Amino acid sequence: MLFFSYFKELVGKQVTVELKNDLAITGKLHSVDQYLNIKLENTRVVDEEKYPHMMSVRNCFIRGSVVRYVQLPPDGVDIEILHDATRREARGG
Amino acid sequence: MDMIASCNPTDLARLGQVRPRHESTKGAYDQHLNMILGDVEEIVTTVEIDDETYEEIVRTTRRTVPFLFVRGDGVILVSPPLRTA
Amino acid sequence: MSSSIGLESLVDQTISVITNDGRNIVGVLKGFDQATNIILDESHERVYSTKEGVQQLVLGLYIIRGDNISVVGELDEELDSNLNLSELRAHPLKPVIH
Repeated sequence: MLFFSYFKELVGKQVTVELKNDLAITGKLHSVDQYLNIKLENTRVVDEEKYPHMMSVRNCFIRGSVVRYVQLPPDGVDIEILHDATRREARGG
Repeated sequence: MDMIASCNPTDLARLGQVRPRHESTKGAYDQHLNMILGDVEEIVTTVEIDDETYEEIVRTTRRTVPFLFVRGDGVILVSPPLRTA
Repeated sequence: MSSSIGLESLVDQTISVITNDGRNIVGVLKGFDQATNIILDESHERVYSTKEGVQQLVLGLYIIRGDNISVVGELDEELDSNLNLSELRAHPLKPVIH
């Protein structure tokens, strides 16, 4: 639940999602669900020369299970709040 | 939690490590080992076998990322920093 | 429990699907469910290679199991019509390795 709640707070921010097939997609976070499936708006593939496969796609749905990393905006991370939430989560609260 | 090194195996010949560069960087994690790390360095090591000489070619690439969410299903190891010096 | 984000807004639109084995399938979204299983009509596969331009294979009506789906993209018809697929060369996408 921690990261689902966290990503909900991040809606509207610019993120880069790196997939397990090495594709990296940048876009505005539109929505997220409990599986951490992600919808992005106004998307661009990071290396369009190498990966032209999504050149005519501007909105996309990414299945949570294929995400390797999400690069987060520096202003979208409140480490103190996350740290407290981690402690609560670890306690099973 | 001081510092985390985690690895993501994408195939047998590729090993990725991500770790905060400073011990003071606090992270966040859950029971799946999903985590958020700050001031991250990713080190990817790939091993290829040369077709003709059968020599191992090892390549390492490094990059830094300010804040990174790492999905837990790729994590195979979490370890504290080495206590050197 | 909160509901999953669906693909309602894409029904009856042309979408581009990237599968876990690296294929790219384009078609009209007719249906989907919680597990991201999808029904595609009038679908075709776009086969990328470095030797020749993009080849299009007609598939027709397809159901793709959600477990095998990486990305579902809304295809912008205008952007897509500006692409010269027969001249576009690229390596096929790598498969997803879990």
